[in-house]
Amino acid sequence: MTIWWLISIIGSLAAVLAGFIWVAVKLSSVQSSDPGKKKKKDGKDASVNDLDKAYSDLAEEDVNHLFNKEFREELRNRGRLRFEKIVDENAMFLKQDLDLTISQLNEYMKQQISSKLDSEFTVYSKAMKEAQELTLGALQKTAQELEQQRAELSEAMKKSMTLHEAQMLKGFETNMAQIVESYVMQSLGEQFDMRSQLPYIMAQMEAHKKEMMEDMLL
Amino acid sequence: MTQAPQGKLLTFPPALIGRTDLSHLLRELETLDNDLESQKARNRGKTQGYHLPNMSQALTDLLEINKIDVADDQARMNIRTELRKLKDHAPVIHMTFATDTDPESMEKIVEWIRKELHPQALVSVGLQPALVGGVYVRTPNHVHDLSIRAHMKDSRGIIVQALDALAKGIA
Repeated sequence: MTIWWLISIIGSLAAVLAGFIWVAVKLSSVQSSDPGKKKKKDGKDASVNDLDKAYSDLAEEDVNHLFNKEFREELRNRGRLRFEKIVDENAMFLKQDLDLTISQLNEYMKQQISSKLDSEFTVYSKAMKEAQELTLGALQKTAQELEQQRAELSEAMKKSMTLHEAQMLKGFETNMAQIVESYVMQSLGEQFDMRSQLPYIMAQMEAHKKEMMEDMLL
Repeated sequence: MTQAPQGKLLTFPPALIGRTDLSHLLRELETLDNDLESQKARNRGKTQGYHLPNMSQALTDLLEINKIDVADDQARMNIRTELRKLKDHAPVIHMTFATDTDPESMEKIVEWIRKELHPQALVSVGLQPALVGGVYVRTPNHVHDLSIRAHMKDSRGIIVQALDALAKGIA
């Protein structure tokens, strides 16, 4: 609809311009169609000039009449409106192009970022996998060392416990013997008198007589 | 060994146990000798009619056992000399008991020692209740622990074996 309005306005302007040109051509042809009469006209220059002036005034008046102030104002308004419309349309087209460009740019950016992120993620994933494998290997090694140390510690503890148990048992037996001995000593110490001990003493001395005799003879 | 005045070994009576008794005996003998010498001087050299003073049982036994005439000046001098030697050179056996000794038991022990070990041995007596029983004998060169404490110490293995058997029985 708008384009048709524009076409009609342009067509009107073209028709006015064509009429103006036709009038100008007619006037020039009228002036050049009487060359033999120049001399005659020399005398009549003043009247021709007046005539030209009259025609000019007439044409000017016609032009002023045809393109009067209202018509020019109307044309100006139409042109302003048309210009605004064109500007709006172009702005709309520009906006559409800009939106399309932005959309494409977004898509492009998205693709680029995705590919970049994919590659980075691939590298990162690879690095992570390597780090994971390295960490796993270190953890396994540490676990093996810990297990070995635990086994050694367990063995050492077992040996120490066995040794300690044997020492405690030995100490217990020794102390127990000493306790029993002390108990018997304290229980019997006051019960023996010399007369009751005499047979035991004589028997012991008799048993060691040979050793004592050898010592006395030295 | 010291010879008796008659050429025999001087035999100690059972009541003479240690070096202290021997010193007492020697001092008593010297006193007796002085007393008899005084009587001899008063009697102008006559040895007959000596008035013998009271003597201890040990000295009496010593003179009787060895058949010594106390009126004989030479015999007294000899026995004094022998006793002085024995005081310094007689073998001494140190015996430590767990309880106090009584004279009868000591006489038996000394008698056995002089019969079996040495006829002129002297005995030094000590007391150590920790021995529980028995005797701790120290001869000139050796020590013989014949006490019940030593016997029990040597028998600790029996208790340990009994404990081991008990532990095995529990296990």
